[in-house]
Amino acid sequence: MPRYYIDSSDGSFSHIDSEGVELTGDEAARYLALDALPDMVREVLPDGDQREFAVCVRDEAGRVIYSARMTLAGAWRENDPAGLDDNPELDV
Amino acid sequence: MVETGNTGPLHVLVTSLSLRDEVDPEEAALLEGLTFRRRLLRKGEELVAQHSQPSESCLVLTGVTAREVLLDDGKRQITALHIPGDFVDLHAFLLKVMDHSVVALTDCEAAYVPHRELLRVTERSPHLGRLLWLSTVIDGAIQRAWITSGGRRSATAHFGHLICELYLRLEVVGLASDGRFNFPVPQNELADALGFSLVHVNRTLQDLRATGLVAWKGSAVSILDFDGLARLSQFDPTYLNLVRMPR
Repeated sequence: MPRYYIDSSDGSFSHIDSEGVELTGDEAARYLALDALPDMVREVLPDGDQREFAVCVRDEAGRVIYSARMTLAGAWRENDPAGLDDNPELDV
Repeated sequence: MVETGNTGPLHVLVTSLSLRDEVDPEEAALLEGLTFRRRLLRKGEELVAQHSQPSESCLVLTGVTAREVLLDDGKRQITALHIPGDFVDLHAFLLKVMDHSVVALTDCEAAYVPHRELLRVTERSPHLGRLLWLSTVIDGAIQRAWITSGGRRSATAHFGHLICELYLRLEVVGLASDGRFNFPVPQNELADALGFSLVHVNRTLQDLRATGLVAWKGSAVSILDFDGLARLSQFDPTYLNLVRMPR
């Protein structure tokens, strides 16, 4: 089975994976990388309003084959006229 | 300490129960006289299967075992870790149908004691009955500590708490000393015990190493400052009931 290395950062602490893990393929590596994001988020929130969480997968050759990012963008809205609307930010 | 010498394999049970209360020679003889079958298990093998209806309960003699619950999507939660001296499956004596399974995390050896034997001994000695009951109550206390860790502690404190717990549990059966113990359980199994993603186990371990309180290399764990680690993890050993008192 191929070996993958999964690096991660919660915006203040980066972990460079030097051991790696044997997985069935790229999709399993992507799953493991994404699986780490909520753990990191839970760990540091609520702490500040701006934060970037990132993971990336490297293959045996050291090539980055997948990366993902999650962004926290918090802001007070008291002087913002848009804040008078019903939570426009929640519209998706 | 586990005493070696002219003692049978079940002596580890006497040692384990003696930590919490005096086990008199007659009671010790009753326990060591339990009939059992010895079974060697390979890493990954099941000691007890979920939904089975065992007629015997197993005691861990060597190695590390885990209680696990499997989900349909292949995910699993390890809800307890068991070490030598733990009567891991005393539960089946009363549960009858297993709601979880018990699996070997390392090669291990277990003694399977028939339930009729447990019935005989506990009817002969109500005190031994209470001590075996106590061991399942302590399993429950450990579960409470794990739920609290998983629900409310930071990852670093959660992991640190588990290391403190394992150290004390292994120390009393003679498998840890001077802050060191061997724990040949891979990180993906630790992830299932902690409820972390595999990446987060690595991150948290790196974070713990950076504190200088713990070193973990391969399967060799060294606690460099137990009090410091206990403080960081808010570890209070009361729940392990490592106190000898009349029960």
